[in-house]
Amino acid sequence: MFQSKWIKQIQAGDQEAFRQFYGAYSEYAIRTASAITQNREMAKDAVQETFIRVYRNIGKYNPTLPFNSWFYRILTNECLRILKKNSMYSKFEHPNLENEPSNEDKPIPQSSDLYEEIQELDDAFRIPLILKYLKGFSEKEIAEILEMNQNTVKSRLFQGRKRLKNQLDSTEKEDETL
Amino acid sequence: MSNFDKRVKEELHVRTEKHIQKMKGEIWNELEQELFTNNKGESNKLKKRKKGKAIVWLIASAALLLMLSLQSETGQALKSEIKDLFIPEKEVIQNIEGNDEKIEVQLNEGSDSEYVIYVDEERYKLTKGEESDMISSIIPPPENFPAVTMEIKQVVDEKPENLVKKIEAELKKEYPELRAIEEVTEPVTGYLLHGADGHEPESNIVHTYVISNGKEGSFVIMQKYFLLAAEGHGARFHRMLETFEIVK
Repeated sequence: MFQSKWIKQIQAGDQEAFRQFYGAYSEYAIRTASAITQNREMAKDAVQETFIRVYRNIGKYNPTLPFNSWFYRILTNECLRILKKNSMYSKFEHPNLENEPSNEDKPIPQSSDLYEEIQELDDAFRIPLILKYLKGFSEKEIAEILEMNQNTVKSRLFQGRKRLKNQLDSTEKEDETL
Repeated sequence: MSNFDKRVKEELHVRTEKHIQKMKGEIWNELEQELFTNNKGESNKLKKRKKGKAIVWLIASAALLLMLSLQSETGQALKSEIKDLFIPEKEVIQNIEGNDEKIEVQLNEGSDSEYVIYVDEERYKLTKGEESDMISSIIPPPENFPAVTMEIKQVVDEKPENLVKKIEAELKKEYPELRAIEEVTEPVTGYLLHGADGHEPESNIVHTYVISNGKEGSFVIMQKYFLLAAEGHGARFHRMLETFEIVK
């Protein structure tokens, strides 16, 4: 496995191994951070800080947790930290993802843009959906990344998809009546 | 995978495609700088702090020289010419709402030549007043949205540490969720008070800095805009304020 080789080399301070690791992980890290933060600069900061943390803390990595889950846990936490820090500048609320999300459906956006509709979802649904559809993480992996119970993740994904479908159906029906 | 799943996957991939290569390069350059420069183990943040301290020391030294020179007649002449030390117009790159923008900013002088600030005069104008100066947006806000302004006021007889508490008490009446007083070093060094009166796009935002005027008083810089404009006007005001310099 390239991963375990890189980990050992990076732990030994091999810069070339870190460059290769960056080459392999940066694209999806940037995509994920861009989708979560919806802001180029915040995404850049989150990804940069994640790689710095990985480089400096790789000695603390516990191989009982899959490396991808460890990496994306750091990334997701960085995104949420940066969003929280900028919360007064942003439209987002930052609930603890373990908390129950609001049961009230938000008003249906007028736009038929699917991406915007994903972003309209509560973070509790939005972030698991981003991890699932962007990087293709399994429910188990999402649970590891977000440090949540796997059943909760399953339920959030189900609810998130359902809400998204309802929103899409409503928007499309509205479009048809126009 | 259902059609719905495919659609969501495709949409997320398409919408996160933009700027990837450029960002990869930019982040790598920062990482190299942070992790592999000669000053190994010393983070950029630390370097920035050290650089900041050096700048503060230089400014303090310059201010001392300036104070000494201003006490003489030659100094009085110098005072009015200090702003000549600044170039009248310059081009800056600002990152607004995630995009880099190249804009022209013009040097503006505050009341009684007490400070200078570079203003993006395509979007804002500085109006001098008796009690305070006001930088306001040239383009009016949408209907039912509050005006966008940055007021700069000098309070000559009250130090920032006392004044900020009084302003906090006043602002709390209008903004019950006003954040606690923060000490900041960017874009200016002093105290920050930030509050919003709601979470709607048109909700009022107040963003106020209370800083020393270099003597026994303070400058109060009060930005007002609406929530939706935080990443636009809010970011532009921040950049503008980075150019704020006290010259008296």
